[in-house]
Amino acid sequence: MKTLTPIGVVLGLLILTGALATPIVPWVARSSGSEEANASSVTPSVEEHADPSGVTTSLDPGTDEPEPLPDDVVSLPEDILWETNYDDPPIGSSDAVRGGTFNYSIGQYPMTFRLMGPNSNDAFAGWNRAFTMSFGLVSRHPVTDNYIPRVATHWSVQEDQRTIYFQIDPDAEWSDGNPITASDFVFTWRMMRSEHIVDPFYNNYAEQFYESVDRIDDHTLRIVGTRPSWRPLSDYGGLWPTPEHATELDENWVSRTNNQHQIAVGPYVVSSVSRGESVTLERLDEWWGDGNHYFQGMYNFDRIHLRVVPIERNLDYLRRGELDLVVENNARAWNEDYIFPAVQNGWIRRARVFVDTPSGVYGLHMNLEAPIFQNRDFRRAMHHLFNFDRLNRNLMFDEYFRQVSFFEGTEYANPEIQPREFNPARAKEYLERAGYRRPEHIRGRNVAQNVGNALRGLLFTRSDTDDVLVNERGEKASFTVIYGSPGLTRHLTVMQQEYRRAGVDMRLRLLEPGTAFERGLERKYEMTVTGRTAGFYPSPRQYLHTDFKEAVNNNNIWGFGTSEVDELIEVYEENLDFDARLRAMHRIDEIVHEEAFYIPFWRAPFIWLAHWDYLRFPDFYLPRRTQQVTDYMVYWIDPERREALTEAMRTGEAFPVEEDLDVDYYGIREVVDQEPGVGP
Amino acid sequence: MRWLKLDPITQKRIDRFRGIKRGYYSLILLGIAMVLSIFAPYLAESRALLVWYDGRPYLPTFEYYDMDSFGQEPPLAWGMGDLETEYLRLQREWRAERYFYDRERAEVGDDPAALAALDEKFPNRRNYVVMPPIPWNPYESDFWYNEVLNEIQAVLDEGAEERAEMMARRDGLDELADAIHTGRIHGLLDDVDASPTGDLLGLARSGAMPSLERLGEVPPTPPDFGRRHYLGTDSQGRDVASRLFYGFRISIFFALFLVLFGQLLGTIVGSLQGYLGGRFDILSQRVLEVLIAIPFLYVVIIMAALFAPTFWMLLAIMAVFQWISITFYMRTEMYREKTREYCLAAKSYGASHLRIIFRHLLPNCLTPLVTFTPFAIVGAVFALTGLDYLGYGMPPPTPSWGELIDQALMPENRDKLWLTLAPFGAITVTLVLVVFIGESVREAFDPKRYARYE
Repeated sequence: MKTLTPIGVVLGLLILTGALATPIVPWVARSSGSEEANASSVTPSVEEHADPSGVTTSLDPGTDEPEPLPDDVVSLPEDILWETNYDDPPIGSSDAVRGGTFNYSIGQYPMTFRLMGPNSNDAFAGWNRAFTMSFGLVSRHPVTDNYIPRVATHWSVQEDQRTIYFQIDPDAEWSDGNPITASDFVFTWRMMRSEHIVDPFYNNYAEQFYESVDRIDDHTLRIVGTRPSWRPLSDYGGLWPTPEHATELDENWVSRTNNQHQIAVGPYVVSSVSRGESVTLERLDEWWGDGNHYFQGMYNFDRIHLRVVPIERNLDYLRRGELDLVVENNARAWNEDYIFPAVQNGWIRRARVFVDTPSGVYGLHMNLEAPIFQNRDFRRAMHHLFNFDRLNRNLMFDEYFRQVSFFEGTEYANPEIQPREFNPARAKEYLERAGYRRPEHIRGRNVAQNVGNALRGLLFTRSDTDDVLVNERGEKASFTVIYGSPGLTRHLTVMQQEYRRAGVDMRLRLLEPGTAFERGLERKYEMTVTGRTAGFYPSPRQYLHTDFKEAVNNNNIWGFGTSEVDELIEVYEENLDFDARLRAMHRIDEIVHEEAFYIPFWRAPFIWLAHWDYLRFPDFYLPRRTQQVTDYMVYWIDPERREALTEAMRTGEAFPVEEDLDVDYYGIREVVDQEPGVGP
Repeated sequence: MRWLKLDPITQKRIDRFRGIKRGYYSLILLGIAMVLSIFAPYLAESRALLVWYDGRPYLPTFEYYDMDSFGQEPPLAWGMGDLETEYLRLQREWRAERYFYDRERAEVGDDPAALAALDEKFPNRRNYVVMPPIPWNPYESDFWYNEVLNEIQAVLDEGAEERAEMMARRDGLDELADAIHTGRIHGLLDDVDASPTGDLLGLARSGAMPSLERLGEVPPTPPDFGRRHYLGTDSQGRDVASRLFYGFRISIFFALFLVLFGQLLGTIVGSLQGYLGGRFDILSQRVLEVLIAIPFLYVVIIMAALFAPTFWMLLAIMAVFQWISITFYMRTEMYREKTREYCLAAKSYGASHLRIIFRHLLPNCLTPLVTFTPFAIVGAVFALTGLDYLGYGMPPPTPSWGELIDQALMPENRDKLWLTLAPFGAITVTLVLVVFIGESVREAFDPKRYARYE
């Protein structure tokens, strides 16, 4: 039994260490060009794709070589109905120009170019997924959310909601010129299950998701998932091909392929590396996908030069012209560091681009098993003492947005829910209802007591916990917050002082990130700060189902569960009617809000960009569902503007500068910018 | 020093130490600082030392008084008075009230009815608050710079100009207060050049009212005597001076306890080893070798990661390792001394072992102890600061030098000079003082100058 894959732990650490001066950005590991890639590789047991039994999944040993399936068993059904979608707009812009070298940074040199196996989930993985290796069968359109063809041109979902047939693009070929066939997909599945890849995550993933992957003919494929799903293409359609002709899977595979150059399905292939310093990706001259309508205006650069730069030095490299684009993730830096001539002259441009991505669960969690948090009024009081605006104004440059919904950033978020406002008077009412009052003895009631206090005071001043609220049993309104991110200390200590004034003693305990994360899973805490990433589809079961209330070591860190929520989860998971699912999820969201065991923190539904003027973006800047700026490369280098810039820098001429940095093409800000309400 | 019988040589050593001015004054300075730091809650605290209210003294250091006790308005966002009084604000409010009283008094003249009405209007003008020299406790965040204009703006928007003026006057924003009083403020706010956004914050940003220029800033804010942040604030608006002071208190007492315990235990064990010798010596030496081979910093880091460290826990962990080094010196000293004639003489008189060790031998073996102790203190202060800096020391929000240094070294704070200078200055001064003392003590105890056996 394993409770968490290593990747899961790493992910947890990343969540926990996501310092709060920085937005909870989608970290490197989860970047991907497509929703499928995401599902397949990054949000493992911790999130989204946990199997119904929770994060604890057993890995069957002895899944070495799958039993060979006879070819003749698999054939197409007679009455198959093929589907496709070429009706959505292209992802990129028609203004885009091909050419040029794009200089960008990576935080660390890739430990491997493999897509599976040890270390394959490092900083380079996102690049691998988006550009070279991991091109799935279908993906979601990042603006319309419809499924669009990728390596497959057509697909057909069968009535059982787990069998899907795919037609593979006959033009699709590897960077070495060999055609991509159905066998390459079967091979990926085989590889995922192999012990030779030394990758328990993929072993587990293949086990949980794919019952079988079969070749019908060279360009036709059948995938059978393990269970019916109302989003079968999302669950099973992300499979990517692996070049079977060039892969020898044996016990030396891991070490042999560590730094092997790739044979890619995507438009780019690693062309040269300078170990420890940089990686260069070269655009294929004739890429099979160039004909695909959706890829128009994407993949514009001839060359992508990725230089290893420590995050805090990105800006320096940008200023020196060694990077074309940087993503800022520190509110203070964004507000204070970009005041230099190149920016003031409009040579370097900045933008805050709003994007619409799920933000996951992130905030303060209360353990419903801890005696002090068993009272709902007490929990609600905690909400009313959380002064988000003050934190945001004074510690975060007023840049962030308050999270509200349990399903924030997904279509299932209940728009009716308003965050509880900062309201100490109301908190006091709730606290009184929960039985907590200021103690009597903080002020002496008679002369003798006062004299006693004064004498005591000659040596000791009043204890700092004297005015903490107590209930009738003499228990103090006092609890400990466990957290693992040192970056959060600033926010928590400010909160601590505020709670303290209202008579609630919040103690802080900073633990090593992994320990703090585990304490959450094991429910060994009173209050904790932790986050979970979210996929495109929320997965409430692992968080809120009663199955996980009794057990520990799962994502139901609060120990919550009611039969009503269980039923609603069933509806969400099984009902094929979207409205019914939506109603169920809205109700769940409402219940979570009413029960008040989770104080959502803040989110950054935007990306801070700074780039040289010659790097051009479409008017929408980035597609709606962008998580990382490199997910969808819709920008390009304009050679004319490059010349103009060189000239302007020589003469010192300034370009017009726009005052408003916000780019909100999809109207996301309106949705996230909610006024707090009184709330129940 | 009658209660402590000093033999002439020790007396000479002390005299000699006092003769080395550098060390002597360092000792006095450090001593004063340590004594003062014991009384930190009276010197750096947001609770007033004394409130004189309606003819009666109150001592908030020892007693909890909520806002209603002194009729203080709760903060705007809180809207309830069941909070501890904000004494610094109270002091400023009452001071502002005196200002208003004087102003109106000058207008009223001598009419007794009007005077009585004034008395009624300004009941607090005779009350006062005595604040500690540093009126901030080390935990509270002061976001005044960023918030005050919003608050005054909100009051102005309600049309409560008198209150707005009071708030500005209270916080020493006289230029703004005068503008509100004369009504000039409306003209300024309507003027696009003076305030592009049409509010007070715009006025501060445009520079039309120079005294507001520093407002609208988020922490860390630079030193400001008007606001009584003598060394500025840290990245969450806490007073640096206050944190520095409490940090000193914690580190120096931590070091003292640690060294006291460590040297005591080390001396005892080392003396026994040297005096008894033989099997005890050999066995115990092996145990010590095992102990000393454990990398102490890692142990602390591991422990700190598993349990939230507290003052006493850190002290205990470090004490386990700290006492060992001195044993080696004491052991050798004892080995040497126990063969001398005076020791044999004491033995032949039938003195007990303990008496021989502690009465006769130990006073002659003190040199390494005295020499090493000051440096052990330096080491302990450094160790605690280092642990705090690494994040393995005291849990937040405990004030500490290491935590301040950590803040100062963050990339975004590199240009906040006060954050860097304050903790580094404090650490340098303290350690220099301790080293001066140590040097002088060593010189005073130099065995080459005085040997007990002659």
